[in-house]
Amino acid sequence: MDFSFLDDWTEEEAGPKLAEVGEGYRNIWVAAEIINGALSSATLEAMGQARDLADQIGVYVYGVLLGDGVEALGQKLFAYGADIVLVAEAPALGEYQPETYTQALACLVEQYRPEILLLPATHLGNDLAPRLAQRLNTGLISHCISLSLDMSERLLLGTFPVLGGEMYHTVACPEARPQIATLEPGAFRLPYEDTHRSGDVELVEVNLGEARGWLTWVDLDAEADLPTVPLSKAKVVVSAGRGLQDAAGFALVEQLAEALGGVVAGSRGAYDEGWISEEQIVGVGGKEIAPDLYVACGVSGDVYHTFGFQNAKLVVAINPDEDAPIMKVANVAVVGDAKLVIPALLEALAA
Amino acid sequence: MDFSFPKEYQLFRRMARDFAQNEIKPRAKAIDRDHTVPHDIIKKAAKLGLLGVPFPQKYGGMGAGETGYCILAEELGRVCSSTATVIGAHIGIAAMSIHLDGTEEQKQKYLVPLAQGTAIGAFGLTEAQAGSDAAAIKTTAVRDGDHYVLNGTKQFITNGDIADIMTVMALTDPSLGAYGGITAFIVETDTPGFSIGTLENKMGIRGSSTAETVFEDVRVPKENVLGGFGAGFLTFMKTLDVGRASLGAACLGGAQAAMEASIQWARAREQFGVPIATKQSVHFMIADMAVEIEALRSLIYRTAWMIDTGQPHILEASACKLFGSEVAHRCIDKAMQIHGALGYSRDYEIERGWRDQRITEIYEGTNEIQRIVVAANIFRPYGLRIPT
Amino acid sequence: MRIIVPIKQILDPSGLSFRRDKERMFINREEWIIDPGSKAAIEAALRLKGEEDEILALSVGQPRADDALREALAMGCDTAYLLSDEAFAAADVSVTARVLAAAVGRLGGADLIVAGRESGDTGAGQIGPRLAEAMGYAQVTDVVALAIGEDGIEATRRWGEGYAMVEAPLPVVVTVAPEAFETRLPHGARIMSAYREWDVPVWTAADLELADAALSPLLAKRAESFPPELEVGERFRGDPETVAEDVVAALKRQKAIA
Repeated sequence: MDFSFLDDWTEEEAGPKLAEVGEGYRNIWVAAEIINGALSSATLEAMGQARDLADQIGVYVYGVLLGDGVEALGQKLFAYGADIVLVAEAPALGEYQPETYTQALACLVEQYRPEILLLPATHLGNDLAPRLAQRLNTGLISHCISLSLDMSERLLLGTFPVLGGEMYHTVACPEARPQIATLEPGAFRLPYEDTHRSGDVELVEVNLGEARGWLTWVDLDAEADLPTVPLSKAKVVVSAGRGLQDAAGFALVEQLAEALGGVVAGSRGAYDEGWISEEQIVGVGGKEIAPDLYVACGVSGDVYHTFGFQNAKLVVAINPDEDAPIMKVANVAVVGDAKLVIPALLEALAA
Repeated sequence: MDFSFPKEYQLFRRMARDFAQNEIKPRAKAIDRDHTVPHDIIKKAAKLGLLGVPFPQKYGGMGAGETGYCILAEELGRVCSSTATVIGAHIGIAAMSIHLDGTEEQKQKYLVPLAQGTAIGAFGLTEAQAGSDAAAIKTTAVRDGDHYVLNGTKQFITNGDIADIMTVMALTDPSLGAYGGITAFIVETDTPGFSIGTLENKMGIRGSSTAETVFEDVRVPKENVLGGFGAGFLTFMKTLDVGRASLGAACLGGAQAAMEASIQWARAREQFGVPIATKQSVHFMIADMAVEIEALRSLIYRTAWMIDTGQPHILEASACKLFGSEVAHRCIDKAMQIHGALGYSRDYEIERGWRDQRITEIYEGTNEIQRIVVAANIFRPYGLRIPT
Repeated sequence: MRIIVPIKQILDPSGLSFRRDKERMFINREEWIIDPGSKAAIEAALRLKGEEDEILALSVGQPRADDALREALAMGCDTAYLLSDEAFAAADVSVTARVLAAAVGRLGGADLIVAGRESGDTGAGQIGPRLAEAMGYAQVTDVVALAIGEDGIEATRRWGEGYAMVEAPLPVVVTVAPEAFETRLPHGARIMSAYREWDVPVWTAADLELADAALSPLLAKRAESFPPELEVGERFRGDPETVAEDVVAALKRQKAIA
């Protein structure tokens, strides 16, 4: 184990002064990712942001792609805003390995010196970006939901959620370069594919040095048995009331819960109808819960039920009667028959 | 004077609360409705060391003293009086009697499995004709070689039908009466001649079993005499004296739960266009609950401290049980009033709390006995001696 | 096998409330807890622990983080170290990683380091990979199942639309998904011993031979803000298809769904 890295830090002057390092770094990079044989939508969102930032500062957008046999995909980055596309091809880069990808990108960064590097905050990006930032001894603003620029200081400002999304922090990396940020997929617009933009991919060599692919990807389609989330801790709860009328109506609630990644619950009425078990009752005599999202379907909303979710963050209610008590406590009050609205919701969610 | 709990107790309270809220609270309704002891919960509690909270670690206990035990009792009392009663009888009187008066051999043989929860304990004192008048017991213990032979029937024994080990008070010399004539024994319930009679059908704490236990020529080895021979009265008085503090703690938990439920309901329930929590009548009820709870809390934990530091505590422990049970009574009563019709419904926890609370003024020495104990202890410094 | 678990102490979020309209955060109840990700990491380590293995808990924090480390000991860790110094007060995630790396170095390294995937307060999710790079270890992040295999670890991690199973050699840094590990309660006797018998040594910047220059953060916070207010009683009417689209859009706006 090599601890010589500690030698730098024990001295009073640790490494080159960062202010000098700031100069000579230019241009905005996006480390592109391929998922299922195509550029991931998160990559495209990052390209859109890079283009915006580059236009504001007046610099180039580089699309950077690592892989084996990915040149044609690299070509597509032009249409999404890249001015220059670098593709590093090597058999060793054919599958994601933290060490080799870190080494390859670090090598390119040290050579070309981008001022900003964006990666998607996908599984790969979240795994790679911090390791890369540590390698480059630079700052990483992770899980950004929006980006902006401080033009006076030419600094990237990344905004990300903290405390479970109740607040946002906006952070900059004042001196170290490149400024790295990972972008939450889905938080940014998808840019249009401008087929008039094109260019020639630059194939670049990277020196992988001693870097090894330590991981063995045994199974890319593995299964996992996670502990079931109890109702009291679920973040998303979809609830059924008598307004669903029958078991078919209740089945829609189960489908909606699955689509939203949530847990099924109900009012006492749903229990009396035999659709849910006693443990799934929300309200007085049942559970008191505080989910992030509570969807009440066909529930009238008397206090015995609303008492159970009074601390929920966001309440959606679906009820044909717009004066039902539930409509007064809902953030999103849908006036309609749950049996018609839920199928439409399922369609809209799948889109 | 530092009134804060040392950090290990703060962490322990979090653990006990976590266990009570996540493992017991969701089951409390069913435990009461199904009238069954939640054995799986007791086992889980044992795995965390909760069945031996006050006992030294060298006997398999947690080493948390009476303070730790009151914390556990309070957290259990918040969620389920039945579970609190099962565990309370096991720790507070059954195992406690062996902790207080057992020999080293007896502690190794019996206290260790009780503290670790691999055996369940019960405390056999009460009989049909001997409740408050504990000295009127008739169960006999006659020496026969290396054994004593026990004959008699005990009544209203918590955990009587699930216990592996029972400390039993029996008459070894009827002519001497209470002082000198009663001896305590440790009885293994799988001894031939031991059987269970009726199980009580109680108004509350229905998830704890209250059994008639019958002794027909039950042979108990002489090594199992607990405490001094003929000094059984002292053994059980000592045990009951200490047990009272934790009972008060369980009442504290119940009172606290009643108040919190009332606050949550008053916030939600609207009448005349506003939450009833805005009404002064409700403010006054909640305030009265809060003040009594504060006073009870101070009493309980100061008493626990006195017990843990070896100070005399009979008056204070008795006060804990007396005041605790009556505070719990007033709090659950007010809670029912605040909940209105909902409080009367069997679907909600208030009516169960109301039914569970009432026994606290009756068992473990009725509140009348407690008043006598308090009076006796208060008068003594003034030179007045009251026979108890 | 030596397992090191870096843990973070955070303010219990259930004691906080937020008023978006007033742009204020209220601390209703100030309670400091072990971050759920860190707790899951302790649990994951405890499940792997065999007779010959030891688990060391580390925390970079204020003196109060001593309580978090005692709780880690009570849960079953063998030893714990508090890394605390005024000089760490301004630390960002890169500095924290550096301090942890120095401590791991001083301890002689580890076979396995298990951390939470991200913390419940700041949620940066960087400590694991930063530490792996600093130590030159392999890394596997966002793990939902972990076992010791023939030549290292077998980990099931989130990947693509589902999961992937990977093997990695020791030494390796693993970050675990908090929801994948049901954490155990500490045994009562260990809670008592954690405070009454056992020690939690404190290491300062000097102990770790970290000069001030090594402790200056790379990131600077520029602003705090709040998400947009949640409207109440917004009525949605019309035919189901339109209404459904509007509702989904509203939920996305409110970040209730992705």
